Amino acid sequence: MINCLICGQSFIPRISYLKILSLIKKSEKSICAHCMKKFEDLGEIRCKFCSKKLPKADICDDCKAWQKIYQKDILINHSIYKYNDFFHDLMVNYKRYGDYVLYRVLEQLCMEELSGLNFDYYVPIPTSKDHQERRQFDTISSIYQNIVPLSYALEKMDISESQGEKNRIERLATPQSFLVEKDNEKFQYKDEGSFLLLDDIYTTGRTLYHARDALRSVFPKAKIESFSICR
Amino acid sequence: MNNLNLIGRQWIVAHKDSSTFKGCNKIEAISQGKCNRCGSDVHAKLPSGKIYCRSCIGIGRIVEGDYLVRYDTEYNFPQLKQGALVWDGQLTPLQQKISDTLIENYRAKKSSLVHAVTGAGKTEMLFKLIAECLARGERACIATPRIDVVNELYPRFTKAFAIEIGKYHGREYHEPKNEQLIICTTHQLMKYFHAFDLLVIDEVDSFPYVGNKQLHYAAENAVKPNGVRKYLTATPTTDLLEEVKKGQLELLKLNRRFHGHLLPVPKEKLFLRPFITSKGLNKVLVKEIINVIKAGHPLLLFVPRVDEISDYLRFLKKIPELKQVSIAGVHASDLHRLEKVQDFRVGKTQLLVTTTILERGVTFKHVWVIVVAADDQIYTSHSLVQIAGRVGRAKSDPTGMIMYCYHKYTKNLRLAMKQIREMNK
Repeated sequence: MINCLICGQSFIPRISYLKILSLIKKSEKSICAHCMKKFEDLGEIRCKFCSKKLPKADICDDCKAWQKIYQKDILINHSIYKYNDFFHDLMVNYKRYGDYVLYRVLEQLCMEELSGLNFDYYVPIPTSKDHQERRQFDTISSIYQNIVPLSYALEKMDISESQGEKNRIERLATPQSFLVEKDNEKFQYKDEGSFLLLDDIYTTGRTLYHARDALRSVFPKAKIESFSICR
Repeated sequence: MNNLNLIGRQWIVAHKDSSTFKGCNKIEAISQGKCNRCGSDVHAKLPSGKIYCRSCIGIGRIVEGDYLVRYDTEYNFPQLKQGALVWDGQLTPLQQKISDTLIENYRAKKSSLVHAVTGAGKTEMLFKLIAECLARGERACIATPRIDVVNELYPRFTKAFAIEIGKYHGREYHEPKNEQLIICTTHQLMKYFHAFDLLVIDEVDSFPYVGNKQLHYAAENAVKPNGVRKYLTATPTTDLLEEVKKGQLELLKLNRRFHGHLLPVPKEKLFLRPFITSKGLNKVLVKEIINVIKAGHPLLLFVPRVDEISDYLRFLKKIPELKQVSIAGVHASDLHRLEKVQDFRVGKTQLLVTTTILERGVTFKHVWVIVVAADDQIYTSHSLVQIAGRVGRAKSDPTGMIMYCYHKYTKNLRLAMKQIREMNK
């Protein structure tokens, strides 16, 4: 018996032969079936660019707005879940209250999907030093550190406030705050490599477009896409 | 901030050297793997290896190495004339008896458990007790597990007492003050240490207080060592009755509603088809709903799960007979919950689809109730009794209809019916 990290109830994880035989060992151990049901899959009909759930096959309003700025150079975002109330509460506990161990819930949610995506580099969106110091952990890299090898190609200039506290218009008006160090001593990046940006939630896309632009300015030939657990 | 506003409070500071003021005690927030604010065993680790408490994280994370500052200094509250009570209502002889015993027990520093049927007028029975406490220059707190109950009690007490009353719950942030009388949720008790001479816990059998060790720990810490506790409930839990047996609590029983009428006995209705499908609602259920509306009563429709509310709303709004009826749905994390409940209270909404959050502590005039899937495991016998207790609370309208709809007759249904019949004997 294990206790569900979300509701605290003890439960017996479901076991399938496929899972026993597969290499994914850590999955399905943090969330009980009851809580798992509350996460809402994005479903089949999505925006072809950012994965937003839509009533009919189309391009979502956010991407239409990005098209006006970027024309054909739209960011492809991979995503799994809809940002519903349940997910909101989970993120409040994780980010605002600083309940670090919930990274395991988020890790479990995206493990399967993420192992199906093949990129050269996995770049977590950095959080401000201020927030990191207060929480004593990095919210994004904690989720992904055990799933994929992380490349810390982006740096965040400490000028911006938290996106979560802004409304839509303020979010979109946020200035670029990411920096890329090309001659990073720790990493040697291939100029034509493929990068997957990792974030938790895609709301307007502002953060991820900034991150992509920053990377793109240094690696103009690279293929850059993004991944967010929620859309 | 004025330090006096923090009297009786406890709070976290991150470093040992952070300054405090005279009269404060500082202890390690986590010692020997135990959280000193909520009493939980602490296991969760940060990347640094430091442990932190997950149980009480909602009111601020406690990390190993943090300190808990407690301002439990002596403070003389004024001895208020008549305890500032301006209520001039009348208690029934039965209520009077309980009220007198509560005061007697308080003077004798004895804790009590009041077991009174839903609609017995528990709040009114508290007035004289609170007044006694305030008249002695002592500090009182009324805590309840539910925000809705805090919001229901607060205006009633502000009308009855001519002093400023503190109101605290997680949905409404403001700086603390040292009010002599406080109404708050049981979660807020974690912010107090040896603060109260009198702590009343209303609806003590309800979620999340019931069976929650952290909240029980907080309640124990919040009263002064020589303080007195009073528990109020319509459906006492076994652990409280156990304390009564051991003599730690005196049981005071009141099984008549204040208007002297019996509790409405629920109608039980067996359903063969599902209550709701992808096509619509059960026709028999729809007929029952229409009957209530036609009779001119507001209807509380209880459904077991939050995610069903939107489906019920969608189908209800399509029913031609309900075209003129204003319908809403409400659940625990609904951002507009308080407004929606208020709209129903004043009659702006006639049909409210809800979960168990409205099972207790709330009064709606003339309301009738239908419980869909009363056999669902989410309904304990306590919840079922409480839900039935929403009906017939007014003197001018002491009867009413409450219906349990079920597919399978459960033990909880049987126990609830038994309890209601017993209280009516």
